[in-house]
Amino acid sequence: MATDDNPRPPDDTSLIPGKTWLGKKVMLFISYHTPRCREVVRILSQGMEHELPLSMRMKLWLHNLMCCWCQRYMKQLQYLRKTAHAFPKKVGETSNEVLSPEARSRIEQALRRDIK
Amino acid sequence: MTFMGKSAQGAQYTSTPGAGSDPKRWLDEHGDFLYRYALMRVRKPEVAEDVVQETLLAALRSHGAFGRQSSERTWLCGILKNKIVDYFRKLGREASFTDLQFLADEYPEKFVAEGWWVHVKGPKEWQPEAESALQRDEFWQTMRDCLGKLPQRVADVFMLREMEEVGGKEICRMLAISENNLWVMLHRARMALRECLEINWFDRKPEGRP
Repeated sequence: MATDDNPRPPDDTSLIPGKTWLGKKVMLFISYHTPRCREVVRILSQGMEHELPLSMRMKLWLHNLMCCWCQRYMKQLQYLRKTAHAFPKKVGETSNEVLSPEARSRIEQALRRDIK
Repeated sequence: MTFMGKSAQGAQYTSTPGAGSDPKRWLDEHGDFLYRYALMRVRKPEVAEDVVQETLLAALRSHGAFGRQSSERTWLCGILKNKIVDYFRKLGREASFTDLQFLADEYPEKFVAEGWWVHVKGPKEWQPEAESALQRDEFWQTMRDCLGKLPQRVADVFMLREMEEVGGKEICRMLAISENNLWVMLHRARMALRECLEINWFDRKPEGRP
């Protein structure tokens, strides 16, 4: 909710920014019936673990109409998951560590023993 | 980069599957790749070396399972993930994975008392950067640095869930933690990572990035 000491910044892209009289009424209604952001982000993370009940998904949808920040947070959680899934194949590009020659020959011997 | 050249060779090999198992070549072409991933996850060089060895031995014993659909590297990486999970299963019996100090951290500066975002500190828009970032080595370096800033046990749990893609219930069994604790740890890890990536990548102008 926007108040004087918690203004909405210029990049607010919420569908219902609550600037008009009607917008304010809708926002009041939504904030009365849906969880606050601190709770929403916790629930969004749980939603990554198991499917949320339909009623909760509807509440989140309503909440996101007036809160572009929670909506971004939700998209970014999905992005984090996608990124982490892709990370194992990219780890090699983030360090210069190499197997030592001793480890290499030890592994090679173990493999040769196993072939026999 | 020589690294890219090696992965290209790996891709060529997939066009002729059934060329026979060649563990020496696996070690030459993928050894360092496997070692780097293993080292990041288990942190100790001698353990990482063992994990790589076990991976290649397992690959050797199950070579028939290497299908046409995946590249040799993807296949080996999948086996390595299983070995990493085995390592943490064993570790879970010996060490506590509940990070109480981290669980107590509530990010009070992000929310006002009533529970709304402090709007000017709320999440920023990441588009259109989000997709192109995945092609940049520097982005992955940032990702790694951000993971490195998480408390160790929290990072372990997050990476088991999202990199090795182990199910939540399985992680709870492996590490003897409650489902509620798992959810709180994952939530805090996601929040911290999101914040770190935003500050160090998405909210920076390209010239200010690492």
